[in-house]
Amino acid sequence: MNNLLDYTKFKLKEEQEILSILRNNQKILIFSCNKCYKEFTQDTETEFNKLQEILTRNNLSILGNIQLDFLCNLSINEKKVKSIDLSNADSIGVISCGIGIQNFANILIKDKPVYSLSDSIPNNANSFRGYHGISLSVQKCDGCAQCYLGITGGICPIVDCAKSLLNGPCGGAKNGKCEVKIEGKERECAWEKIYKRLSKTGRLNFNLNLPVQIRDYSKTGYETITKHKNLNQEKRSQGFYGGVYPYENKKNTENIPIKEFPEPEIVIIPLSQHTGKPSQPTVSAGEKVKTGQKIGESSGFISSPIHSSVSGKVIAIEEKFHPTLQKKIMSVVIENDKKNEIYEGAGQQKNIDLLSKEEILNIIKESGIVGLGGAMFPTHVKLQPPKPVDILIINGCECEPYLTCDYRIMIEKTEEILRGIEILIKVLGVKKTIVVIEDNKPEAINIFREKISKSKQNLEVIPVKTKYPQGAEKMLIKRTTGREVPAGGLPFDVGVIVQNVSTVFAIEQAVIEGMPLTKRVVTVSGENCTKPGNYEVKIGTPIKDIISYCFSIPHSLLTANCLLKMGGPMMGIIQTELDAPVIKGTTGLISTKRPVIEPDPNRKCIKCGRCVDVCPMELFPLYYVLYSQENKWEKIQEHNISSCIECGCCEYICSSKIPIVGIIKNAKLKTKNYADNKN
Amino acid sequence: MLITKIKNKEEIIQKLNKKVLVLKCVGCREVHFPEEDIDNLIGELTKSNIEVTDVLVFDYLCNPDFSKAIIEKHKNQIENSQNLLVFSCGVGVQVISSILEEKIVLPGCDTFNIPGFQGLSSQNFNCDLCGECYLNYTGGICPITACSKSLLNGPCGGAKNGKCEVNKEMDCGWEKIYKKLNKFGIIETQNEYIKIRNFLRERVEKTK
Repeated sequence: MNNLLDYTKFKLKEEQEILSILRNNQKILIFSCNKCYKEFTQDTETEFNKLQEILTRNNLSILGNIQLDFLCNLSINEKKVKSIDLSNADSIGVISCGIGIQNFANILIKDKPVYSLSDSIPNNANSFRGYHGISLSVQKCDGCAQCYLGITGGICPIVDCAKSLLNGPCGGAKNGKCEVKIEGKERECAWEKIYKRLSKTGRLNFNLNLPVQIRDYSKTGYETITKHKNLNQEKRSQGFYGGVYPYENKKNTENIPIKEFPEPEIVIIPLSQHTGKPSQPTVSAGEKVKTGQKIGESSGFISSPIHSSVSGKVIAIEEKFHPTLQKKIMSVVIENDKKNEIYEGAGQQKNIDLLSKEEILNIIKESGIVGLGGAMFPTHVKLQPPKPVDILIINGCECEPYLTCDYRIMIEKTEEILRGIEILIKVLGVKKTIVVIEDNKPEAINIFREKISKSKQNLEVIPVKTKYPQGAEKMLIKRTTGREVPAGGLPFDVGVIVQNVSTVFAIEQAVIEGMPLTKRVVTVSGENCTKPGNYEVKIGTPIKDIISYCFSIPHSLLTANCLLKMGGPMMGIIQTELDAPVIKGTTGLISTKRPVIEPDPNRKCIKCGRCVDVCPMELFPLYYVLYSQENKWEKIQEHNISSCIECGCCEYICSSKIPIVGIIKNAKLKTKNYADNKN
Repeated sequence: MLITKIKNKEEIIQKLNKKVLVLKCVGCREVHFPEEDIDNLIGELTKSNIEVTDVLVFDYLCNPDFSKAIIEKHKNQIENSQNLLVFSCGVGVQVISSILEEKIVLPGCDTFNIPGFQGLSSQNFNCDLCGECYLNYTGGICPITACSKSLLNGPCGGAKNGKCEVNKEMDCGWEKIYKKLNKFGIIETQNEYIKIRNFLRERVEKTK
């Protein structure tokens, strides 16, 4: 690990200037920023401590100090500042870089004078000038908009030469040292370095004979910067705060129709494929079962029954590896006789007009329907909200890269989904239903619009701009209805219910066709995948069957070179045990290249603030990393870890490549234990 | 922190030898990265008789630890190529060329700095990190960044209808300052002596 430099951007002003402000403003409230671009540690020595010393030395008082993070980030601090009662304060003092101070002076505080108590620290590393990138290393870039590095062998003449000369050395260097000395400190002549570097690569003559370089200062003009600023702001603020735009990679599979996956030899059906209590087995080893026969009974209100996906013989009921829980769970192992005999009770078509609300709910419950978007929450529970709801949102966003199973279902099974929506409307009695589809799926939007115009229901299709994690419930609700789900709350708290399109399709199949949930569409795609596609896979099919069928390389080579994820690449769970089966919540099986630089929990956070910029829940993921390292579970709780939806945006953007999501998952367990022990 | 724009096509091609390895740094892709232009250019390189040995995509080349690991992993490809064409900000190019001193490392992008920049999002206000904050005298509007001439002692007189004479889309920073100070009734702060900007100081200051 290289030595991390400190690129802190501000420090307290000189005492004299501070005193002149404080003497004139007795009732001043201070906001101070917790610095950025430095190694993130439990630093107790803040600029405010220095201010405190000045206060005691001069017998002065202030109203108080409020310590915040990233004062430059307006949206994240706006709510906090508005929630603070400022009526006692006559004026506001801010300790931060110039951006934070201007945010306060121009936007956050309208009716009181705002004072700056800090100066920025200009160009504080080894060289005189230049903005650095986002790692704390020595190289810097002035952002001059006309890169000379191709001429100078990768040594920047603007930053490294004290005089920013472009056409060779000034001639003032002695023994390779610059004639400009700062506080007696010597520095190397950049042009001598450039000369040596160019000699090494044999480009000396070519480069030095190029025409004279003249720096064009107009290039970084107001227009260019404003244009880029506006573009960036538009992209960042689209729809909801935060989020990222990963490569979509949907092209490989989006035009491949849903195909039935070959019959597996055996299926392993875990008895826990839902949020809540595991089911109890209702069959025993040696027993013959048929497709659609119930093999696990739900064991509580938040639970769901399990059905056999094949016909054949139960060969064992034992603990088998579970793909998402990543531990061994009681499972039913069935040998497939490939006769596909349907269980007597299943497969009977029904007319929904003749069914009551309670009957429909019972069918949904008995068919083992859970949320198929990945969360696997029992649907019959979700459909009986404790509070009245008035809006039903059908989630067709599928914001995860690679995945196209929902998209194919929307295109191929539109009629079925519309019938499913009808059933949901009957159960919930909602007045308004919205189908939300991202604008990268124009075909799905068109087909729904077309079909909906023919039906008489109160349905609306809302296309939204593509951005991850659009499909997360809370983002979706905020964007389409403007309602904000409170922290720790659920969608029904604001009168909304969200259902995934695949779930709606499964509901239709269960209620009208009478088929319990025994198969689902899974997208298989990614590196080394020779037969990508959207396959209708029987639940319980082992992953290794899919790999043998869709990937041409040996299993061991695949797991060595690639990361195999169940779900999408952002939220999916890495699979190492290939015996694990496909379960109800398996949206995809995606292989991605193993990264050259593996995530490492011990890497230092440099407080670049990017995770805070992308967190759609407006949390501070960097604190979870810091406090986890120090086992401060109480502090983690204070930072609202339970609101985290584990979307993976912070890990995706982390410039230090820290496995933040893994740390958060662990911290959630630990904080829960901590809270339990305390009670 | 940095926003990049692809260099002029001729400028890049003129410097390239036959075999080129392309490195793309997508660490700041969420901020801005001219990806489409770059892909088009790579396509055109082959037409100009330049062989692209491989296109490697990474993020955060600015981190020397990461860059070293990447170079180690792709040693063979690097050895087989005469040039490395790096699409990143100036920091990324410098890091790669400081590790590969014997190779010709060429930048494919020009880098802009957007001063009011933290994390991923550009802000409405800029801070030039000048080292001596004037905001107390100017009602919280920065004369260094909001005035195109960075004047410290009042307007130049060239503004028309509140718009700057350098750029007609830009507001006159000093008119905004005047209005703001008037609003708070503290216009007399303008009668104080304003510190003369100390350009030496910003060069000397160290963090610790």
